[in-house]
Formats: sequence, C-alpha cells, structure tokens
Amino acid sequence: MILLQSHSRFLLQTLLNRVQNLEKAVELDYHWVEFDDVRYHILVSMKNPNALLLSVSLPIPPPEAVFMGGLPFGAIEAIKAAYGVAVQILDPPRDGFNLTLKLNLGKLPPDEEHRYALLVKIASVREVVLGAPLRVVLKHLSSRTVIPGIDGLLAIVHRSKESFFLDPQPDKVTVVFPMRFKDSVDIAFATSFLQEFVEARRTAGLNNAPSCLWSPTPPLELKEAPAEALSANAGFVSFVILPRHVEGKKLDRTVWNLSTFHAYVSYHVKCSEGFMHTRMRRRVESMIQALDRAKPGVEGRKKSPNSRSFKRLSLKEV
Amino acid sequence: MATSLRLYLTCIRNTLEAALCLQNFPCQEVERHNKPEVEMKTSQELLLNSILICRNEAEKCLIETSINSLRISLKVKQADELENILTKKFLRFLSMRAEAFQVLRRKPVQGYDISFLITNFHCEEMQKRKLIDFIVQFMEDIEKEISELKMSVNTRGRLVATEFLKQFI
Repeated sequence: MILLQSHSRFLLQTLLNRVQNLEKAVELDYHWVEFDDVRYHILVSMKNPNALLLSVSLPIPPPEAVFMGGLPFGAIEAIKAAYGVAVQILDPPRDGFNLTLKLNLGKLPPDEEHRYALLVKIASVREVVLGAPLRVVLKHLSSRTVIPGIDGLLAIVHRSKESFFLDPQPDKVTVVFPMRFKDSVDIAFATSFLQEFVEARRTAGLNNAPSCLWSPTPPLELKEAPAEALSANAGFVSFVILPRHVEGKKLDRTVWNLSTFHAYVSYHVKCSEGFMHTRMRRRVESMIQALDRAKPGVEGRKKSPNSRSFKRLSLKEV
Repeated sequence: MATSLRLYLTCIRNTLEAALCLQNFPCQEVERHNKPEVEMKTSQELLLNSILICRNEAEKCLIETSINSLRISLKVKQADELENILTKKFLRFLSMRAEAFQVLRRKPVQGYDISFLITNFHCEEMQKRKLIDFIVQFMEDIEKEISELKMSVNTRGRLVATEFLKQFI
C-alpha cells in the first residue's frame, strides 16, 4: 500500500459488521486513534441496536486556525452534504470529542451498492471534517473565485497544534506545509524524501502535476504567518494547485491527499526505517558467519556417524 | 572497487598482519588477572607505537597495539546528513550486538565510529589470517551497506513522491 486510503479501515469493518448483523443486538464500545492525531469512539447500546454513535476528536487547533464550535469552518455543511438523512449531528458532542454523529442504521439505502458507498463515506469522516475548509477553498478555485471575506493566508489544522497554510488566489492556490518531525532520524529521512518530491516533479510524466518546492527557510507566502508557525525542522514544502487539479472528481482526491500529506510522508519514513532494520539484521547475520569462518574446527567437528574410529563388538561375534 | 579503497584496505591488512603477534601476558599488579593492556595502559613498556592509516580526511583507521591486545578504530566517511544518520544507526546496531561478534568493542574510541578489540585469546581461538580477512571484509561491507541503504532511501523517496504527484493528474 503506497497511498493512504481515505476511509478508516477499522471503522468501515465495524460498520459493515454491524449492518450485516443488524437483527442481533450487541453492545459496542470501541476507542481508537488514527495517524496519531484523530481519535474515534463508537458506541452501540443493547437498548437501541439501530442507533450507532460515532464520536471524533480532532487535533488541537493552533491559535491561527479558524475553528467554529470545535470544528473547522465549513465542516457542518460538508457533513450534511455528504451524509444526508442517515446521519444526525448531536449537539453538544460527547465529552472530550469535537463531533458526535448519530447513525440510524435502519435508514441506510436498501440496495447493496449505495449502502456500501455511504458506509465508505462515513468511514472517511476524517476527510469530510478536517478537509472541509480545504474543500471550500478548492471549490472556489475551480470556479476561479476567492472566498469573500478571506484575504491573505488561511491556516488549516492537520496535526495537533500544527497547521498548514493556503494562499488562495483566483487562478491558483499555494499550499505550504511546514514539516516537523520529532526524531533526528525522521528529519533526515523526511528531508531527503521531500527533495525527491521536487526532483520527481521534474520528470517528463509529471509535467501536469502541481509544481512543488522545498526550502529549508519559510517561503515568501508565509511572511504574514505567526512566528511559531515558522519553526519547521524538516523545511517547508509548497504545492501550487491550479484549477485543472480540482476539476470534477479530482477534487475529493486532491483534498484528501493534501490534508494527509504529513501523515503520508511520515508513514513512508517509518516504513523506510523498518526496512532498514530488517536489512541491518540480515547483514549482521552474514557478518557473524564471516567471523565464524575464522574459528578452526567448526566444520571438522561434525563427523558423520558412520566414520567411527572404533568398532563395537558383540559377544556373539567373538 | 575503487583503487584508493583497495590500497587503503591492503595497507590495513598488511599492518594488521604485522601487528597481530600477541602473547599471553598476565596483569602485573593483581594476581590472576589478565587484562588487555591496550585498554588498561598500566605500563609504558607494554605498549607499542600506534599507527594511523588515512584514506582521506574523513576516512581513517587507528591501530593501537600492546603486548597482549590490539585495538582497531575506524572512522567511516559521512558525506551528508543522511549518510551520517545511516552510519550512526548501522554502527550502533552493530555495537549493540557486540557479544555476537566477540572482537567488537561496545563503545568506539573517542573520535571514531567503531572499534575492535582483539586479545591474545581471540588469536588462540581463531585463525589469524581469517580474523584479518574478517576485519577487512567488515570494512568493505560497511561501506557497501551504507551506500546501498542510502540508495534505497532515495529510491523509495522517489517512488513515494511520484505516486503522490500522480494523484493530481
């Protein structure tokens, strides 16, 4: 799996399971975390097996990001547009969560295909909620307008206390990610990965991809950004999104890819480290073998059982 | 293999062959103790001159000898940040498994990346030529492994980037 999928696999599995065994009333109470920043909670009670409560806790927003009632702007509208009647937003949400959705499993579309599509959509609640502001901006880009009332930089939260920035203009949107990693190994890997993004963009097949820049210092677009947002230990990546990148169906994919860019890079950095460890383990084994070759008599000691130097005599033979 | 690397390794091999003539030597101060003199440095007479072999500024090899033990310390080339991290990780990984290697020192000598300590007991247990072979092979392997690791990180980065950018087309 190279690309991250937009639905939470576990959530989709749970929902499918629940839908298939609707007549059996069970109690569910699951907590889990995805990408280290979004927390989910599912609750189904015995009393009302058709209702499923799904709560989502989003990363803590930094001061510069625009949040309304605990959600990124545009999120409520996005939820309503995506889910329709099957989902109800509970206000206020459960304690410790930003959003609680009440799913009525009885009201799902009857035919298999539509139901599955809706469940996948519900499982990608992260994309819908966190990607909402980005979606609004990119939608305006496809019609070549800017959102009225917003000029200059727009900060969108993507990790706890961290945000990335949009510089919306009628004909393009510049997306700038300050990349931060905790570990010095992660930083070195990520830096080399990010430089590969710039290199890869130059190859012939990717001429139509958004142009991509990496720099260790904040780019010009960020000159209005608050100072604490400008400390990134793995540099800054910027993508220039043009209207052709958000046409029609591409919008969903672009929103998802941009809003999980950090998770994507970080996932591959970790994979790389894992791969490195497997390799090093193998190398250590071959080196130990090389050292064992230096010890004399290791091969000689294992004699075959037939080559005994004495013969056991039995009484009968004497 | 590059010529300079071959010359460097040949030089180390010859030096080791000359230097690896160790004999048993019990401790002079404590009865029934037997310590590697190159580490303890209890007496000046027991130590020999140390030899420094350099391939270039970044790559060198220090060979310190004494009557009953010999210490080899290596400094590995680190051209950039990524190579530096990879070298550090790999050599740390090896040092942590020093028991399996017997001749590997748990901690490198200051200023070097990895050190070996060979005592007369190792020489009794193992064939000297093969032991030298191992050290030289080890140096070759480290160099090869690090460049391969670096290449694999870069290839992966390229693949990851290409797949990501393809999504927008």
